[in-house]
Amino acid sequence: MKKNYYLLSDGLLKRRENTVYFVNKDGKKPIPINKIYSIYAYGSLTFSSQAIHLLAKEGIPVHFFNYYGYYDGSFYPREKLLSGDLIIKQAEHYLNHEKRIIIAKKFVEGASKNMEKVLKYYSLENKISTILLDLTGCNMITEVMNVEGRIRANYYQKMNEILPENFKMEKRVKRPPENMINALISFGNSMVYSTVLSEIYNTQLNPTISYLHEPSERRFSLALDLSEIFKPILVDRLIFYLVNKRMLSEDDFEKNLNYCLLNDKGRKKFIKEYDERLKKTIKHRELNRKVSYKRLIRLEAYKLIKHLLDSKEYTPFVMWW
Amino acid sequence: MYVIIVYDIKVERVNKVKGFLRKHLYWIQNSVFEGEVTKSEMEQIKSGLLNIIEKDEDSVIIYRFRTSDAFNRKVLGVEKAPINGIL
Repeated sequence: MKKNYYLLSDGLLKRRENTVYFVNKDGKKPIPINKIYSIYAYGSLTFSSQAIHLLAKEGIPVHFFNYYGYYDGSFYPREKLLSGDLIIKQAEHYLNHEKRIIIAKKFVEGASKNMEKVLKYYSLENKISTILLDLTGCNMITEVMNVEGRIRANYYQKMNEILPENFKMEKRVKRPPENMINALISFGNSMVYSTVLSEIYNTQLNPTISYLHEPSERRFSLALDLSEIFKPILVDRLIFYLVNKRMLSEDDFEKNLNYCLLNDKGRKKFIKEYDERLKKTIKHRELNRKVSYKRLIRLEAYKLIKHLLDSKEYTPFVMWW
Repeated sequence: MYVIIVYDIKVERVNKVKGFLRKHLYWIQNSVFEGEVTKSEMEQIKSGLLNIIEKDEDSVIIYRFRTSDAFNRKVLGVEKAPINGIL
């Protein structure tokens, strides 16, 4: 019903007639306020405090990305769903080492199993499940992280077998990405991160208390935790789709001496397909009804809440198709 | 549900109606709005419109469809306001 708006061009966001207007070089375009779920701003965006008042009132988060497509930050409206009880429980599960590691392992398990499914779809042999066995013996977060790193290394290495010749990657390079495939992964991951953050905003969870990642300052690290599970589902499969169907080519990238980024044309294509994917539905096995990929993220947050409140143990979402 | 709203309103109130509908639906062309709404949002729209219009002078027609797949939409000439989430 409500949808995401992606502002790729430079412009101005202002309030008029109690709704928001996006003004750019092509003219004014009203956006129905009741139809906005969240806004992703990629171009340089100017917006008035009046617009902020309205967005805050309606609880619409705005995510900002810089010139390179990196996540810069969000306008995170005043929380409407507050639960002191849950925050205490969230902190308790972080402070208690045993409780924390249980959740951290679940995130890694979910992410790995989804990566495995992605490779399986292309019938590729992999070592992920073997490495995953090491998870049982881990007692420290660093050890859990280490297992995750090894799985990811194996995964990225296998990924090359799916990619066409010009898209192959030697290794995962971030900040800045060196080649096309790294650029796509970085861009996609930052989108998932903000999508997850929007979903967390709509729950009582506090986005700063996390389990796998360290809840360091200045970051919504719970969104990082949860996005691990959804990156293979949302980003990686989308990349294979776009690249293998030749929907993205070298013209969609801006290449420079030591970095490679999606250009405007490429971004538009990527975002369009990404948004379609979020809206795509699957028949949920437990709920026995159709659920969109976006909704799955929210359900994941609800499952985590149930775990924190000790009403049902958390099991990470794993694709079954 | 998917709705299409067309209206014929006296000049002094026409902008009010337009402004109100803009919050909920997409402006398609003069006096026509459409979009996906929930049941409760539909009720809000109906009561909001009833507050603005004068029942003996203005006319608003609401077409309701189960989904946007229930009808075929074809634009001849200029598509004045394409509905698009990427701007």
